[in-house]
Parts: sequence; structure tokens; C-alpha cells
Amino acid sequence: MTSTSHFPVGSETGDQRFRIGVDIGGTFTDGTLVDSVTGEVTTSKVLSTPSNPASGFISAVQKLLSVDSVDPAAIEHVVHATTVATNAIIEGKTAKTAFVTTEGFRDMLEIARQIRPSLYDLQFEKPAPLVPRQLCFEVPERLNAKGEVVTPLDESALAQLVEQIAESEIEAVAVCLLHSYRNPDHERRVGETIAAKLPKVIISLSSDVVPEFREYLRASTTVINSSVAPIVSTYLSSISDQLVAENVTSELLVMQSSGGVYPAKAASENPVFMVESGPAAGAVAAASLGSSLGYPNVISFDMGGTTAKASLIRNGQPNITKDYSVGGAAQSGTGAFGGASGYPIRTPVVDLVEIGAGGGSIAWVDSGGALRVGPHSAGADPGPVCYGLGGRQPTITDANLVLGRLDPDYFAGGEMKLDREAAYAAIRTHCAEPLGLSVEGAAHGIVEIANTAMVNALRLVSVQRGHDPRDFMLIGFGGAGPAHTVRLAEQAGIPKVLIPLGPGTASALGLLVTDVRMEGSATLIARADQVDLAKISSEFERLESLGREAHHQAASASGEPEFERAVEMRYWGQSFELSVPVPKRDSIDQHWMDELTESFHEAHETAYGFRANDEPVELVNLRLTTVGKIARPKMRKLANVDSDPSSSIKGFRQVYFASETGDRGMIDSTVYDRSLLPAGAVFTGPAIVEEPDCTTVIHPEWKVTVDQFGNLSIEH
Amino acid sequence: MTQPALDPIKFEVVRNALTQAAEEMAIALRRSAYSTNVKTRQDFSCAFFDKNLRSVAQAFTQPVHLGSFVRHVPIAVKRYGPENLGPGDMILSNDPYGGGVHLNDISLIGPVYYGDELVGYTACLAHHVDVGGGAPASVGAFREVFQEGIIIPPIKFVNNGNLDQDLFRLVVSQIRSKRETSGDFRAQIASNKTGTLRITEIIDRYGLDEFNLYIDEIIEYTDRRTQAEVDRLPKGVYQAEGFVDNDGFSDDVVKLAVKITINDEGVRFDTSGSDQQRRAPVNSTFAQTFSACAYALRCLMDKDLPVNDGFYRYVHVDAPEGTVTNCVHPAPVVGGWETHVRLNDLIFEALSPALPDEVCAGTKSMQCHSGFGGENHQTGEYYCFLETLAGGYGARSTSDGPDAVQSHGQNTENAPIEETESNYPVQITRYELVPDSEGPGEYRGGLGLRRDYTFPEEATFTILADRDKAGPRGLFDGERGSKSVYALIQNGEEEHLSSKTTVQLKPGDVISYRTSGGGGYGSPKNRESEAVLSDVLQGKISVGRARERYGVAVDIQSQTVDKTETERLRSGT
Repeated sequence: MTSTSHFPVGSETGDQRFRIGVDIGGTFTDGTLVDSVTGEVTTSKVLSTPSNPASGFISAVQKLLSVDSVDPAAIEHVVHATTVATNAIIEGKTAKTAFVTTEGFRDMLEIARQIRPSLYDLQFEKPAPLVPRQLCFEVPERLNAKGEVVTPLDESALAQLVEQIAESEIEAVAVCLLHSYRNPDHERRVGETIAAKLPKVIISLSSDVVPEFREYLRASTTVINSSVAPIVSTYLSSISDQLVAENVTSELLVMQSSGGVYPAKAASENPVFMVESGPAAGAVAAASLGSSLGYPNVISFDMGGTTAKASLIRNGQPNITKDYSVGGAAQSGTGAFGGASGYPIRTPVVDLVEIGAGGGSIAWVDSGGALRVGPHSAGADPGPVCYGLGGRQPTITDANLVLGRLDPDYFAGGEMKLDREAAYAAIRTHCAEPLGLSVEGAAHGIVEIANTAMVNALRLVSVQRGHDPRDFMLIGFGGAGPAHTVRLAEQAGIPKVLIPLGPGTASALGLLVTDVRMEGSATLIARADQVDLAKISSEFERLESLGREAHHQAASASGEPEFERAVEMRYWGQSFELSVPVPKRDSIDQHWMDELTESFHEAHETAYGFRANDEPVELVNLRLTTVGKIARPKMRKLANVDSDPSSSIKGFRQVYFASETGDRGMIDSTVYDRSLLPAGAVFTGPAIVEEPDCTTVIHPEWKVTVDQFGNLSIEH
Repeated sequence: MTQPALDPIKFEVVRNALTQAAEEMAIALRRSAYSTNVKTRQDFSCAFFDKNLRSVAQAFTQPVHLGSFVRHVPIAVKRYGPENLGPGDMILSNDPYGGGVHLNDISLIGPVYYGDELVGYTACLAHHVDVGGGAPASVGAFREVFQEGIIIPPIKFVNNGNLDQDLFRLVVSQIRSKRETSGDFRAQIASNKTGTLRITEIIDRYGLDEFNLYIDEIIEYTDRRTQAEVDRLPKGVYQAEGFVDNDGFSDDVVKLAVKITINDEGVRFDTSGSDQQRRAPVNSTFAQTFSACAYALRCLMDKDLPVNDGFYRYVHVDAPEGTVTNCVHPAPVVGGWETHVRLNDLIFEALSPALPDEVCAGTKSMQCHSGFGGENHQTGEYYCFLETLAGGYGARSTSDGPDAVQSHGQNTENAPIEETESNYPVQITRYELVPDSEGPGEYRGGLGLRRDYTFPEEATFTILADRDKAGPRGLFDGERGSKSVYALIQNGEEEHLSSKTTVQLKPGDVISYRTSGGGGYGSPKNRESEAVLSDVLQGKISVGRARERYGVAVDIQSQTVDKTETERLRSGT
């Protein structure tokens, strides 16, 4: 409710043609600077500084400014993706927070969902609540499911409660009263009373953060919001101050988990919307790239050193989910209780499936004699065997090296020599000999098994959500992604692949190709055949006025906002809602409702394979996204045009390939230098395309065309 | 035709794809279901069986279905006759005396054909909120299975992809919650259809010969890994006895006995010495007892071990017919899971001397059903609601038992209060931990929980639970957790109820559950005094209890342990 931070909001003067994006990852901090007029992109990579992330941030910015001697006054805005909120939760370093709820429900956070995170583990632990029990308080009051007052708020008990909270020296308070999504009056009163006594404390009300039913999910979201707010707000203020010290006074925007950006001030107040800030950037980059090339339906595949992430983009927008947990075991996407090991949040998050398969994932043979890959990872230290830094167990990177897919002399642009002999020996000892396979066969097995897990991830985001992956283009990026993408497409039956230029930093570019988006929602539970249509209109209008207000606080969002309306619906009696875009009609009348209902039936059939025309349909939540459009930077065309790629051939080498029908073995493959490839060049696999931060593997029977922007467009 | 050679890479790929298919069945079922019990509380399971009815891949949300569901499916298919099932057909069954469990758990099973050839079966089980019988939600104390609801022998429910409307009307007519149950049946059909599609895709890719080859290998692989795990277990004979607190009609405890023999051949569970079956809701079918044993064995093995026929073949169960661990027709079965889950506590207690670091002390170990229903005055519909409540978990050799959590075969979520109040005429007026309910120990048991239901209209309420005589046992000088209390509060007067009873409620009546705490592990006198202090500061344990049961004196003013006094208390002077 209160914020003491002040952020520059930029100015409208001058020629502000540059935009900066900074994405802080576990190992590296990536910076990207785009000239929005020419489309020229400059990147910088510095080591992340986990103990003080702001320091890595500012080095990345300094590096960008110095490379091109950019005038800081010419920066239009700076967009940031950060894991500072998630890290605080994972590391248990959230702010000291109090929780206030309705009398009788103090233990809502302790009890959580009453389930165990793993089924056959007698030694399991429940995640510790983010607020210890002695800081959970009750206030006498009660609403019913219609939002009517059953027990009035007890003002004198509230006054005593505030005294108790004041004594406990907390930094933040989360308030979640039962049924406040229907009627926020009591929550507001509690918030005002605490604020009057404790003006410096950050207060989050559940009816503001996520006014939707199901108390534990709402409470958990609200607690996360308030308990990371002091940390996020301090962090963003510090970054903002340092930018000012570099004479960058333009607006600071933050990437949200949903793929939109919002101003730093809004992020400081509602940080729960940015917990998955980094992964969202990759999906946004893929969405933008796909749309600009005329492919609004794509699957994004982003593979780094420890994990791979897949997400689905339809009509240029990443799929969004609200069924998500933070700080738990890695999400498999299917584990029914995956969420029970973390803290659920109900804010929109790009629907991505993340699996523990990265370049560093370790291969091993289990007690039943099966070859397995992961979940353990050698990470960056000691790293794969071939790094020669002490790693002894073979990894996916070692397998790719043995198969000839990586060049031992051109890793990281030749900065690091890889030890192929050591990788070969490790695979022989740990995998090939126990299984009676050749070393190449075992290495190929390691890659194929990892690919299977990744194909499952692609299927989870597509098939499981009712979409046929063959209708999508696959965009592969991340340091390790392009070595696998073509094979994944082959396995999933996807006919077309795209590898962007500079795949290693493509994700940071996503920060610069999105809009300011503010999410609003309201619960309105009513059957479609009984709902008060006027109420839907007035609720949407109320959400629009809130959205418009927020919009005008974002300098980068010029002009009037656009609004996206959706309704979350289900068959009356179901518990999971589907989000349905509203019909494009001028007024909300019976025709509007009929069309909306039909859209819901269709969406349900797509998702679950059946529709129930005779069943009543129920509206649950209204959702409104306020969009402040930001013009996209121009994409830069390659100067060099030639259909013949032969001038960019670096050489030839033996690379192992297999097909569905059997092994091809080591075959002669052409190696291309990506920086020399001209627009319009056409060539076919088997081939390898190398650039300093990434290697793309082109399997036999796939044809590559270099498009005018330098992307590799690969078709079967 | 030559046998294709086994390829370890393809093996792992096919195995993952099959598991994925089962997972997708579970997701389809959950997300399209209607009843809170299925959609939110996840009381269902899905699996794929091969053409010889061996279980191959499964997606279980509830471990209770682990052994029971995989026994029921083959028996149901054989009874119906696999030759009578064509593409797109599905059979429905819940017959407890045909390999089933209690009537609420209804399985839907369909053959998967690839062209003209039978390649396997997809099956899913859902706990339906109501199947008719003597009380809403079909829970309660009855004398015969006939009073518990509709008994469905294997019948063809879906004919070549089309629901048999006559049978559907017949089944739904027996059921109170018609709309929800109809929705849940549709969700089960969607689940099997999803599974069939996925299996077909896998065969498209690898061909039928390879598909069959890898299914055999998946089972043999699991067998090898299970054997390796069994080899690791300490050989010997281990025994324990215990009881279910009452049977719902008489106050006599129901004795349970278990003897576990671990030798080179595997693990044998013998329940001889358990009481004869009762005309009361405490009888476990063989499938339920088998499931308890399979679950216990699975807990002792590598977390990563797949569960399929290659694992189940190591579970040997001798349960004498006519006892509460293997009841015969027409004994009532609705409370069979109470007996089942108590057997789990006994199994771990029996194994505790041999595996002290792997087991836990006594847990809630009851299903703890809360079922109610009646006419909803607002909608005019007959509604039914069912949920089960958590309790304290047993302590372990190096950690406390978690508070308020489900135990053993049961892992159902709580029903969100706001969702429950939006859909049913009830108000939840209290939902909290029960302080001082833990079993004291060096590591303490978890706390039980309290949940109060207030009814604005008349309703019929059934408690089907246990633990009202004694709380869960401790291990190695750890003490028992508190026992459960079930109370009816009318006009402010509190009356304790039996753990297995049905009551008629008037407007304004309150039913209050306070579930048992978990048993402790090790002597409470050895508990770190700082851990006791932390519990006291959190309000989980009172100052008095800290002193009396743990010998720890807490100075609440300074929020510290009074060390001198604690030393005096603990030295017994």
C-alpha cells in the first residue's frame, strides 16, 4: 500500500532510440542494447554476482554503453529480468512478515493443503510456512460466500492486534480474510488500521493482490508478495540509483512472470507478479520472433547448463497458467503433488515446463541396467568431464563432444579447450561397458534419452493442453538448445525449426520486445444462464479504470491503453477453469453471452476431448489485461546476400547421426561459420553451424535456409 | 518373424512414453471432473495394463490404489471375458467381492486395440462422492454390503465409444449426487480415451513387435531392481499386533496382527491372528490388505523404482479368509480402508527394530471421513459432500512428524473452505492445529487438526473414522499422540460422538473433529530443550506440557529455557 521508493520515470525529450535489457541468470548476466531505429543489437555478458546482483547488473550496462559510446540520455528505457524474488524464497531470506486472517483460521499456512509432497517417502518434510505461527494473527470477523457480513469486524480486538503486531518488529504484513474476494471492506479496514500505526510497514491485502476464491492459494500468494516486497523494493531502488549515477534517468521496467513488463514502482509493490521473470523473457523472445516472421504459433525451447524449458505460443502470445508453485522441487509439469513441495501462487505465469536436462546433466546406469540421464547435474563446477575441471561423470555435453557435434577447439569461440579423450573414457567406463555398447552408441543413447525427456516437455506444453505440436514451429535457443532442437522436431513430428541469430543471448532480447501489461481480475461466480449481464459490464469497466490509472504511471507506455478481456469459466460443478477470450461485440448482451458460452464449450473440447452442451456453464473470474503498447525495434537485415554458402564453410568433420531405422554412424558433415553465412544461403544436413556461444546441429534430410535477418530456418 | 534385439536407448524412451501416457490420463480425469473429491482432493488413479493384464505404467495420486486397483482390473476383465470387448468398449465395476474395495471406488476399463489386435487396457478408478446406500456420501455403519450402495459387477458401460444410456440412467438413479457423479463418469471416459490415443501413438512409432518386447523388458527391468532392493532388506521375521478402536456397533476393539517374513524369496505378509470379520464397517477386502502390504514394501525401496507387475510379484500376502483382513460376502466394506491403513502402522512398527532409521512412529492411520448431505434449500438439489481430514504424522529417527498431514495410502487435499461454502450449505467455522496433541518424544509427533462444520439447514452427517480410544503409538520410548475427538455441539453443549456414526442435524448444529496427533520417537527427556522452546513459542505446546512431558522449564517472559530448572526436572531430583 505504501512505498517510499522513488523511481525516475524518464522524459519525453530528445532522441531516445536505445533500449537496454538486462537478464540476470545463475552464471551469467546478459545485457542487450537495441537501436530501435536501425535494429542493431549489441550484447554484453558478465559474470553474475549473486551476493550483490546489482553490481553485475550495472557492469553489464556500463559495458553496453562503452562499446557503442551511447549517450545515456538517448536511452528510452531499461528492462530487467531478475530472480531476486525467487531466490529470497528458495534461500529462506524473506522479510519478517506477519499474517492476519479470520478468527479460527490462524493455521491456514501451516496446514496448507494437508498433503505430502512425495507418496512413498516416510521421511518427507512439509515446506516451512513463510510466516512462523507466532506471527500469524486472528481477527474476529466473518463474511459468507456471498460476501455478506456474518460477524462484524471487532474494532477493539483489531486495535489490540495492531499493538501486538507493532511489538513484533516485522517489516511486512499480509492480510487474507475469508471471502474477501467478494467483499474487501474488512480487509481494507484492517490494512488502514495497521498502516495508521505502522506507516513504514509494507502491507499486502489479498483482495488487492489476487481477489479470487480458495483461501489458501490466495493467502499464499499474498504472503509471498508482502514477504519479498521489502527485498525487491530495496533492490530495485539500488539499481535505479546506480543507473542515475551512470546518467541513465530513463524509466526502469521489470519483466513479469506473465511476459509483460511493469514499472519498477509497481514491481516494488506487487513483486509476486515477477517471480518467474527470467524464464518468461525467453518465451517472449520466441513469441516476438515468430510473430515478426509470420509464425504466430510456435513452441519455444530454451536449454542451458542445468535445465531445459519449453513453452507454447499461440497467436503470438505465450500460454499463461495460474497453477504454479515457487520454491519447491523442480516442476515436472505432471507430478500431481509437485506443488506440495513449494508455495503456490495464483498470479499469471508463462506456462512453461522445466526439466532437469541441461548440458551438465549426468548419465549413469541404474541397478536394473537402464541408462539414465539426470536429474543430477555437474553444473558449471566441476562441469562436464571434457572441461578438465575435475568432473568424472559423463554429461550430455561430453556425449555431444564424443559424437563430433561439438568442436573441442572451438568451444566458447575457442576460449576453452575441451578434452575429447577424457569424455570418451568416461562414457566408456560409466555407460558403454556396463551396457555392452560401443562408446559412440552409448553417447548417442545419452543424447537420445535426454531428448526423450525434452520431447515429453514439448508434448506437455502442446498435446496435454490440446494442441498438435505438428501445427507449430519450434524455436530453439539457449547455450545448449540448438545442438538438440532439430532432433527434437524430428521426434515430435514438427516440420519446421528456427534458430535465431545469437541463440545464447536470445532470451535477453525478449525483454525489449514486449509491452507494459497490468493484470486485473475479479471473482464473479454465476451460472451463464443466470448471471447479471450488467454486473459483468460494470465489473469490467471498474477493472478498466484501475488499469487505466496504472497505465498512466508507466512512461514507456505511450498513448491510450488497449484492454484484453477474458472470462475464466467451467462447467457448473467443475473446479478448474479455462480462460476464454470474450466475444468482440459492442455490448454485453445475450448474444455476447451465447458466443462466450460456445467459445467455452469449444475450449473444453480442445483441452479435454469432450463438451457437455446440456450442462450449465459457470463464470468464475473476470480477467482484464491493460496493455500499453511499446513499438518493436526494427530487425536488422544481413548486408551479405548469396544463395551459395560455400564461402562460409569452415571445414568438414565426422559427426555421429542415427535415424529411426538404424544407425548411420560417423558421417562426413560440413561445418559452417555462422558469422559468414549470407542471407538466402541454402544447404542441407548433415551439417554443423558454429558461432562463438553456440553450436547448431543439422540432421540429415533437413534443409537450412538463412533468412534475411540471419535466422536459420530449417525444414524437413 | 525374428525377435527384434533389445536396445537400451529405445527401452528408456518407450518406458518414459508409457509413464507419460498414464500421467496424461490422470490430468484429463482431474481437470474435467466435477466432484470436489476427484477434482480438488485427487481421489483417483489411472493405469495401463498389457494384453495379458499385467500392470505396466501407472499414474497414482493415491497410494491406497497401488495394490488394490491393479488386482481389481484383471479380475474384472476376466469375469467379463476379454473376448466380449471390442474397440471403444469400456466396462464399469466396483464389486468388492470381485477383486474390488469399497463401493465408492469405481473402475472404468477399456481395451486398447491396434487395428484388429488387442494390445492392452487403459483403466481409471475414481472415488465417487456417492453411490447410494444408507447415508449421504455412502459412508456409515451398516450390517451388510447391500446397504452400502449400488454394487456394479463388470458391465459394458461404453459400447464402441458410446455411453450406454440405459445403464447410465440405471446407475445414476441409485445415486444422490446425480450431476456431479455424471460429470465424474464423463471425466473417466475422457481419461481412458486419452490413454488409448497415447498408446496408439507409441505403437505407430515403434511397431507392435517392439512395443510388446519393450513392455516385457520394462516388467523384467523392474523385477531386477526390486530383487536388488529386497536383497538389501534385513532378513528375519517381524511381528506386531494392534487394533481398530471400535467397529461402529460394538465398543469391542478389532484386533489386527501382522507377521512379516523377509528371506531370499521375497517378503511375505501374514495377517493370521486378526479378528474374524464383523457385521460392521471394518472389513478389508483382500485387495485392500494387499494394497497395504504393497505400499509398505514400496516405502522401503528406492524412491525411483517403477511400480508395475515386476514389483507386485514380490508382494506375498497370506490373509485368512473370513477375517477383517480378507472378508467374504456379504460383509460390509465401506470402512475397510480404516483397517487397511492401520495395518500400515503395524507393519512399520513390526519392522522398527530392524529398520529404525527408515520407518516412522504411529501416524493418524485412519481415513477420517467426514460425509454429509441433504436437500440444498437454495437449489432444491440433493447434495453430498465428502472429505477426509489430516492428522499428526509419526516422528522419525532424526526428525519430527509433520503437523496436520495425510498418512500412508492417503494423500487427498483438503477442500478449500471458500469453495466448499460456495457450493454447499455449510459453514466451516474453525480450521486449526490442536496444540498439545503431539506424541512426545526426542522427535515429537505432528499435531492433529480441528475442523468445525456449522449447518444452517438440516443435514445428515456421517463420521467414519477411528482413534477415539487411543492415539498413535510412539517408538523407542516415544509416547502416543493424542486420541481423536468427534463432537456434536448443540446450543453450546458439547457431546462426544462415536468414531463411526450417522447423525441428523438441526439448523445451527456444529460437528467438530479434532484428529489425533502423531506418535513420538525416542524419549521426550532427550529432546533438545531449544526444540521444546520453539514449540512453546509457536503455541504448539503449552508451558505446562513442556514441563510435565519433556522436563523442560520455559520462562515465557524472557522466551528462554530455564536451564537450571530443566536440569533438575530431567535428572529426576
